[in-house]
Amino acid sequence: MIAEIQIQELFKKYPKGTEALKGVSLEIQKGQFFTLLGPNGAGKSTLVQILTTLINKDSGSFSIAGLNPEANQSRIQKMIGVASQDNEIDPTEKVENLLVFQCRLFGLTKPEASKRANELTQLFELDKERSKKAGALSGGNKRRLHCALALVHRPRILFLDEPTVGMDPVARANFWEVITQLNTQEPVTVFLTTQYLDEADKHATEMALIIAGEIKYSGTIIGFKKMVNPNGVMSLDDSYLQFVKTVSNPETSKN
Amino acid sequence: MNTANILLIERGLVKLIKNPSAPIMGFGMSLFFLLVYNAGIGGIGSMEAFGAGGYLSFVFPITIISLAMGSSAGAGQTLNADMQSGYFKRLYLSPAPRWILVVAPMLADTISSMAFTILLIAIGATFGVSFQFGLLSVLGILLLSFLWSLTLCGFSAGIMLRTGQYQSAAIVTNAVFPLLFLSTTFLPRELITAKWLLAISWGNPVTYILEGNRFLLAGTSSASFFYIGLLIFSITSVVSVTFALRSAKKIKV
Ligand SMILES: Nc1ncnc2c1ncn2[C@@H]1O[C@H](COP(=O)(O)OP(=O)(O)O)[C@@H](O)[C@H]1O
Ligand SMILES: [Mg+2]
Repeated sequence: MIAEIQIQELFKKYPKGTEALKGVSLEIQKGQFFTLLGPNGAGKSTLVQILTTLINKDSGSFSIAGLNPEANQSRIQKMIGVASQDNEIDPTEKVENLLVFQCRLFGLTKPEASKRANELTQLFELDKERSKKAGALSGGNKRRLHCALALVHRPRILFLDEPTVGMDPVARANFWEVITQLNTQEPVTVFLTTQYLDEADKHATEMALIIAGEIKYSGTIIGFKKMVNPNGVMSLDDSYLQFVKTVSNPETSKN
Repeated sequence: MNTANILLIERGLVKLIKNPSAPIMGFGMSLFFLLVYNAGIGGIGSMEAFGAGGYLSFVFPITIISLAMGSSAGAGQTLNADMQSGYFKRLYLSPAPRWILVVAPMLADTISSMAFTILLIAIGATFGVSFQFGLLSVLGILLLSFLWSLTLCGFSAGIMLRTGQYQSAAIVTNAVFPLLFLSTTFLPRELITAKWLLAISWGNPVTYILEGNRFLLAGTSSASFFYIGLLIFSITSVVSVTFALRSAKKIKV
């Protein structure tokens, strides 16, 4: 069976000369909780943007749920939910209106849309903020709203690019509760990038490590820890640090 | 049309209504032109060359043309705000066809420009501008203005999408501004003495809206201007909208 997210030999070079992806291949199975780890500037966001069709690849191929996203733009968008690294919210609109509008864009009727908006404000503990303008929210709540907007249409695949940046510990715990529940119950496939390795360790099972546009490891998190340190038990954080130190050269650790 | 398209056009219009400074400024500028031109030079209107409509009917088209320009300077104000906030990407990540993300705000701008044009026509009519074919004249003027607006809005939106900078929307307006005056703007062809100005005016597309409108108003220009104007601006509209749509593919998100 074809993987839920199938990536073959993706290359991407930005006009200014940065070679962000140098032949990335990955397979993520349906229902997996996958995390892509790597230093700043490694190419994580670039990969997410290509997979979600925000930007174009140079060469290589990928499929999502067996479809070519570039040729099935609208169908794919209905299947995936995307919370990009930067917030994508209209600061002049009220929280509730943004959610309702997003639902409507995905084809929900008015009553369905307000019902769904209600659910999401409760799920993300934004009840008190619903009639505030999005621009007036605290950083953490903006982030919550940003992530809630990715869920309006109950996507079967979630792309979360450093989703919890700016959230306080309570917001973060709440966020992971929502996401892990989706992952275990629906089951939603999760493609996460994060710099908080404890989060990745706790919630994800599969991982890949990307450094300077190249995949240095892909497999289970447990397997990664074993590979780095066959005898002892190290946290993902420590394993990651040890591994990155050995493979990186100065060029890749800048940025 | 599908719901997403309607929603996006609606949103564009609501945004304009909430923040109408660009079209209102365009409108204010046009009204100001109408008043000062008429007050300052209106006296010459008794000359035969201006026909029965007097100077007011003669100078009226320029106010309509500048109205569309004022609106298009703010064209894509929604598009630009969305690009600044990153919200455009959120819309991009929806099942709405991508062309509508560009066309919807452009249409909203054009629709608002039309609404103000109608208002300006009503004001012109109360001050005595003559419309020689009545309602047909009004429709003809609106049609020309629509194509003119669409042309400007399309280029503005396209440039903005390509550069990713909202300030660049004004490039088009600034580039077009001189064209307003390199024509038979204030005086009929017979009274212009500068040969170079006359020569340029033939190649200036603005001339064909100006004189096309004059044909519809007091009939001081020939019908061919109107038809040539329609042809020119139908073509430029198509080019401009195509440019905007192609720009959407090169978008800097
Ligand atoms: N729009 C862009 N134009 C040029 N270079 C870019 C652009 N976006 C990212 N890059 C470069 O591509 C590389 C990968 O960036 P990115 O995918 O954002 O990394 P990550 O998300 O892993 O931190 C970096 O060197 C970055 O500077
Ligand atoms: Mg990133």
